[in-house]
Amino acid sequence: MTNLAKRLWPDTVASRAILILVAALLAFHLLGYWAYRVGVENLATAGQDRGLAERIVSIKRAIASLPQAPERDRVAHDLSSASLEVHWSKVSLVLGTAPMTERTRAMEARLKELAPELAAESFRVGFADDGALGAGEANAYKHMMLVSVQLEDGSWVNFSSSALGASQHLDWGLTAIMLCFAVAIVVVALLLLRWATRPLRDLALAAERFSLDQVPQPLPETGPVEVRRAARAFNTMRERIRSLVTERMQAMAAVSHDLRTPITRLRLRSEFLEDDATRSLIDADLGEMEAMIDSTLDYLRGGTSSEPLRPVDLASVIETIVDEHVDQGQRVSLIGLNSAPVQGRVLSLKRAASNIIGNAVKYGQTATVSVTDAGDSYAVLVEDDGPGIGEADRERVFHPFVRLEESRGRQTGGSGLGLTIALAIARSHDGSITLENRTEGGLRVTLLLPKLDRTAQHVADMRG
Amino acid sequence: MRWQEPARGSTDIPTETQAETGPVTTTADDHGHILVVDDDPQIRLLVARFLQRHGYQVTGAPDGRAMLEALAHSAIDLIVLDLMLPGRSGVELCRDVRATSQVPIVMLTARTEESDRITGLEGGADDYVTKPFSPRELLARIRAVLRRARAGQGAAIAQASAIVTFDGWRMDLRRRELQSPSGTLIDLSTGEFDLLVAFVEHANRVLSREALMQFAKTRTSDDPFDRTIDVQISRLRRKLEADSRGGQLIKTVRGAGYLFASQVDHQQGQPA
Repeated sequence: MTNLAKRLWPDTVASRAILILVAALLAFHLLGYWAYRVGVENLATAGQDRGLAERIVSIKRAIASLPQAPERDRVAHDLSSASLEVHWSKVSLVLGTAPMTERTRAMEARLKELAPELAAESFRVGFADDGALGAGEANAYKHMMLVSVQLEDGSWVNFSSSALGASQHLDWGLTAIMLCFAVAIVVVALLLLRWATRPLRDLALAAERFSLDQVPQPLPETGPVEVRRAARAFNTMRERIRSLVTERMQAMAAVSHDLRTPITRLRLRSEFLEDDATRSLIDADLGEMEAMIDSTLDYLRGGTSSEPLRPVDLASVIETIVDEHVDQGQRVSLIGLNSAPVQGRVLSLKRAASNIIGNAVKYGQTATVSVTDAGDSYAVLVEDDGPGIGEADRERVFHPFVRLEESRGRQTGGSGLGLTIALAIARSHDGSITLENRTEGGLRVTLLLPKLDRTAQHVADMRG
Repeated sequence: MRWQEPARGSTDIPTETQAETGPVTTTADDHGHILVVDDDPQIRLLVARFLQRHGYQVTGAPDGRAMLEALAHSAIDLIVLDLMLPGRSGVELCRDVRATSQVPIVMLTARTEESDRITGLEGGADDYVTKPFSPRELLARIRAVLRRARAGQGAAIAQASAIVTFDGWRMDLRRRELQSPSGTLIDLSTGEFDLLVAFVEHANRVLSREALMQFAKTRTSDDPFDRTIDVQISRLRRKLEADSRGGQLIKTVRGAGYLFASQVDHQQGQPA
């Protein structure tokens, strides 16, 4: 129930505006309708009452002029109409003891005013509903107004009318028109407000899509003044964030870049050391520093590179990396396809794959790499026999500078950027990387890259 | 064989490092005269000392002007040129030198800037070493480039035949890239590429293991993990097999070595 209420509650600017508009229009219409009804009614009632009073006077006169009782009764019948029934009798229909209510008095005064002749007559006014009749006749005259006028001989002419005091019936035609009106207003207002609030929705969309990686597309500063201001503020804010991040990244890149010169010097200096053992240790440290700088710069580039996209044999890239590891005495084996053409950047793909394979070798004893066909893509599966990664950490390891040292051994080092870079590169190639623990233990990393499509292959054929 | 610094450049060397240069003990200068162009005075100095130790005569230059000056005054056998220089960049200097001379050039580039590597090589450099470089790698490249130059296969030849084609395959010697007949780039390790270069340069001739070893090791002579030539060749074959037509290009000649069986065409590379 609360859910329904929540769903129906107008939550957008447009729906609230429509609600306000409809409520106001409805109130306006109802008031107008009421005023109209009252005015028309007064007019109609005034005419009716006058006619009635005059008819009462003339009928009374006509009956009074007839001497015989049966004649009088017949004429009274003949002068009856749908709105006014007339009877002649020896007694008054309205009891002399009839209670004087508010409307009785008002009616009496009104009849006297409308037909001054009546004022001279002896007459009684009563409403059947107010107990103006005896209990026996009350039912026959339900809701009727009764007027009894006495003749000179003491007999009575009794009038009963349903034209006055009858309940008002509703005007359905007018109500239908008003409903149509309301529906039309809602429809028009909905269209107009959707148009009016469109810049707001665009603003929200732009804020949602906000990303520093993409080419900035400033929000158009159009629409109503509030929206224009919001859009301008949003553009300014985005520019500020952008320049802030760019500045930081440039600083980081500059430092990384500048570190190369002292590292080169150290490499050269170490060459002059007499102690071979110390020299090789220093070289190893310098190698590690270089690797950190490289991965930091790669990370800052966010998977993009100046290298053009070209048809590349993914299998050959993987082979080169696996061979390198084998040459370093590591237990890495390669199975699967011998050819896997994709659209890619060789250096980037090499970096991504060697980060993944490097991790497998670092955390496990052996690594098995396979290149397989996965429908629209080629899959590079890298399986190790290490401790694997818990479900909870699988998302986290892709974040920059995250290292799972606690579970994956302490001495492994690294910058914590390997998977971050690999993922950025995979995504820049419309690919993906997923992690899962193998049932037999160890981690399986799957790198998916879309196959070189037929048209690209064809173009390459033409050129080749 | 003496550490020579052109007058303009010598002023920016800190006294502390100047003291380091004091006793230069190299004796042989028949290895060649190398001009080191780098704006960092200490790197210039250290490279010089390192190369002197290995028998080269070295002259340092901090920028393009000093470089051209040194080229004008002494007989330089090889230039080690930093890509990032104040004033005219290394690539521009490279083109300047190439306009008048075929002196071999080894470029120092930043590791992760792929475009630098390409522009460096296309500017006419014979080889490149990425910074931060290992001194021994630099030495290996210098030796290889000098050997090629002395054998008459220097920059002039390399430039004239930057693109080599065989059996639908396309090899870009300057960019060190191999494209399969279907236009797909095949990634080769340094050793594999050098091996393939040796094969295409001696196509349809039987090459002994020793000869191939010599060619394949020109770039990374000190690599302790270099596998035997047979492993390298089987890897190269596997990669060539990625295209069905490539598998049988390298034939084993029992007891003699290997033979590259294909018509090889040299052509001028398109200007990039």
